[in-house]
Amino acid sequence: MFEWLSENRAIVAAVLIIVMFGLFVWSIVVGRKQAKLKANDEVFGDPVRTKGGWYWAVTGVTALMLVWFYYSWGMARAYFPNAANEMCQIAKLEEAVSPIKAALPIGSRYYKSTLLASRNSDQLEELLVQLPATVFTDGEKTELQDLIIQIRALIANSSNPENLNQQSKDELVGLSQRLNELSSFLEAGPGDMTPSAEALAQPRWGTTFTEIPILPITSKGMLFDAASVEAAEIAGTFNKVRNRVPENGRLIEDIKERIEAIKETNASGSFDEQVTADREDYVKAVERIFKRLDDGLIFPAAALADVNSAIAELDDASHAAQGGLTTADALLFPGPGIVKSKTQCTEQGSARWLPKPTDVVATFMRLANPDVEDGGGYRGFPLLWWDWLPVSNVVAFFVPDWIADAWPGEYASHGPDGTITPNFKDKLLAFAQGDVNLGHVPMLDGHIWDSLFRVLVALALGIFLGVPLGLFMGVSRFFKSFFDPLIELYRPVPPLAWAPLILTIFGIQDDGKIFLLFMVAFAIMVISARTGASGVQLTKIRASHSLGATDRQIMWNVILPNALPEILTGIRIAVGVCWGTLVAAEMLAGTTGVGFIENIARTVSDYELIWVTILIMGVLGLIFDLIMRWIIQKTIPWRGMG
Amino acid sequence: MISMVKKAALASASAMFCLAPGISQADDVNVAFFLEWATPNLIAKTDGSYADAMGVDVNWVDFTTGTAMTEAMLAGDIDISYSQGLAPFVTAIQQGAPLKMIGIAVVYEANDCFVHNGLGIDGSNASELEGKTVAVPLNTMADFAFRSYMSHYGVDISTMNIVDQAPPDGAKSLADGAVDMACLFGGIASAAGAEVGTPIMTSAEKVEAGIGSFDVISVTEKFATENPELVKAFMEATEEANSGFQGTDEEHAKLAEASGMSVENSRTQVSGFIIPSAAEQLEKYFGEGGLAASAAASLGLVFQGDSDGSMIAKTIDGSFLE
Repeated sequence: MFEWLSENRAIVAAVLIIVMFGLFVWSIVVGRKQAKLKANDEVFGDPVRTKGGWYWAVTGVTALMLVWFYYSWGMARAYFPNAANEMCQIAKLEEAVSPIKAALPIGSRYYKSTLLASRNSDQLEELLVQLPATVFTDGEKTELQDLIIQIRALIANSSNPENLNQQSKDELVGLSQRLNELSSFLEAGPGDMTPSAEALAQPRWGTTFTEIPILPITSKGMLFDAASVEAAEIAGTFNKVRNRVPENGRLIEDIKERIEAIKETNASGSFDEQVTADREDYVKAVERIFKRLDDGLIFPAAALADVNSAIAELDDASHAAQGGLTTADALLFPGPGIVKSKTQCTEQGSARWLPKPTDVVATFMRLANPDVEDGGGYRGFPLLWWDWLPVSNVVAFFVPDWIADAWPGEYASHGPDGTITPNFKDKLLAFAQGDVNLGHVPMLDGHIWDSLFRVLVALALGIFLGVPLGLFMGVSRFFKSFFDPLIELYRPVPPLAWAPLILTIFGIQDDGKIFLLFMVAFAIMVISARTGASGVQLTKIRASHSLGATDRQIMWNVILPNALPEILTGIRIAVGVCWGTLVAAEMLAGTTGVGFIENIARTVSDYELIWVTILIMGVLGLIFDLIMRWIIQKTIPWRGMG
Repeated sequence: MISMVKKAALASASAMFCLAPGISQADDVNVAFFLEWATPNLIAKTDGSYADAMGVDVNWVDFTTGTAMTEAMLAGDIDISYSQGLAPFVTAIQQGAPLKMIGIAVVYEANDCFVHNGLGIDGSNASELEGKTVAVPLNTMADFAFRSYMSHYGVDISTMNIVDQAPPDGAKSLADGAVDMACLFGGIASAAGAEVGTPIMTSAEKVEAGIGSFDVISVTEKFATENPELVKAFMEATEEANSGFQGTDEEHAKLAEASGMSVENSRTQVSGFIIPSAAEQLEKYFGEGGLAASAAASLGLVFQGDSDGSMIAKTIDGSFLE
């Protein structure tokens, strides 16, 4: 069943999306109808107005899911399962022509030759201005100025179309022709091209480690794949074309010699250190620019115009050959589309970091599989399962080792025959360390349970210590004044700031993580209980007092019930913040836990795993909150009714 | 000392920026690098030699992790990453990132795993580490080193309690005795680890066992295909900076400032680096069956288990070194 679902993720998604879209529309219709029905007998601000309305929850959830499907390209995969592969082939063609495009206005606004000419002319201009007056002799200065003028002449000579030699001309014309032929090849369409068996045997889009299979699986893909091979060859040839102006050949030799001559003078050692350094710097700067210009990379703009228009034509042909794919790309693939890397094609844009909902579910199912031996769980530990917990471990947790140390007598040592007879002190130590068999109890186990355990314990401690303290701070001058500075001092400190200290104080076990979460929960509980206690209506307290209630009765029967709404709201907030702090807590010394999984997933950029952990935490938080709402409903039904 | 030429260059460059009506172009090159990682080319960075050699503005952005470098490269904010760890590079490739390795930035001793001094465990009785607790920053080069050591000594990792800790935390836990061994990287954490522990392998033993690490120079596919001459100029400038590094006091001071460390620390760090020349890299790392491909493939196997070594080899390109 699960295999089948996993194999047919795309179809499942396609059906799901239609269902959700239907639900979305339907829930809006129902919602509007209901709103109209009730519009007349409800007053604005009445809490009853917010009761019910599940249909709006359906609208919200389906809208969220549809947005998720859209931005993760889940919709694209559901309805155009071959589009990614075809776009991958188009990306191959794009990549193949990109070196040519980068040199032409069609790809980068200016000709690369224009940029080279402008950049280097500017830098030569600067050099001319900066010619240091003191370190060169007048003769050398004229020489350097002349050199710079000569280097500039290199640019001028290369830029003049009249200087372009026949060979380069022929090469460029040949390139334009080949590009035009490629365009007609694309225009002719795929014909009877059929994908290879190897290509068809590839895993499909997103079902494996490789996101998008690289070999073409459709005839359209075959067409672009073949075109990209030819385009890559053309680009290779294009990169080798040089503008060999005969005049420049002579100039280059001349400049080289003259630079060498100045360099020799510099190295002669007849100047002091600073002067030598300045002279060398200057000559080096000149030489650097010269080196950039001596290999014939600058072409006259007119000479490249044909190639530029051939590329434009190729773009048009490619666009035409893509057909409906361009519309699908524009509509369903938000972001820069699909990009080819050396080994595979990858999704770029939101789909890169936002995995498809179906894939997230599949990853979750893989993790949730309790059979750790069979690839389930994460890092050899199930997500949420159960295991036999030795009772002795629990005992060992509560019984400290020093009890055995404090017991009179010595620990046993091995006798002359090499055997050991444990005495009572040894047995006590074994007991305290959990080395005894006291039977087993079934216990929850796994990453989620570990996180849950930490949060629950921290929360429980926070409530049991924080609420009484908060209540007393609300009613007692001593408690308020004594604890106020302490709590207010530590409360604003972000929990992460405590992390290094906690590691040193508590070590790497659970207690440190629990303490970190406890600190968060405790402050919130104190504040909310205190606010609740001090907000009790004075008339109620006075009334009970005049009826003869004792202090304890007032506390228990008046103040606590009246503070409950604040306290329960505090618990709701504390739960949320605890889950928020969990990732940080489990970063301290991670062995298990949801936050641990997220931390590890981050180091390998495994976004599916990251989203699974985010969703797990979100869902757990939601469950907690629903429970809290239920409790609030049961315990303080009078809230908002006064 | 900044020479007059450069001062003038700076001044006039800023003047040019305001006045020149010439061609406005956004062809800056963005390079990622690490602070506290004293590679000699940082001197060239400070001197602006890269910008001179490439003829364009070079923006240097410092990062704290190699994974972040990958992210920035994928987002298009970074063109070249200098000294990205092999581990983040390989994991990026396994996720299909369009990046390639174009050179070796620095070869250095594998990160150390420090055994707590009280335990009396060293290479000779390393099997006693079984059942012990170890702090390892998972999926980093230190993790790779840890696995290499353990497989060298034949220690069964599955018996150990492996705790994922960042190096500073790992050093602290080692000092507290909460863990028995801590695998660390970074100058400060390693120094702290050495206070209370002893490396499981000495430098000589590491060389003998063939355990080492290197950082790579990686570049986005897009940048490499569109601007091969800039990449080449970058590699030439790097080569020039590396070969020109003499280790004078002035250079060390500059390096320390550029890498944000004390002179002493940067001096120690850089003395542990081996920086292969372009020719050596071509011969040893980027040739047929070179070290770059084999190390990347074995690393890929360690972290993911289902990587294809030949796939990673395709992203390794030594042509810019020639």
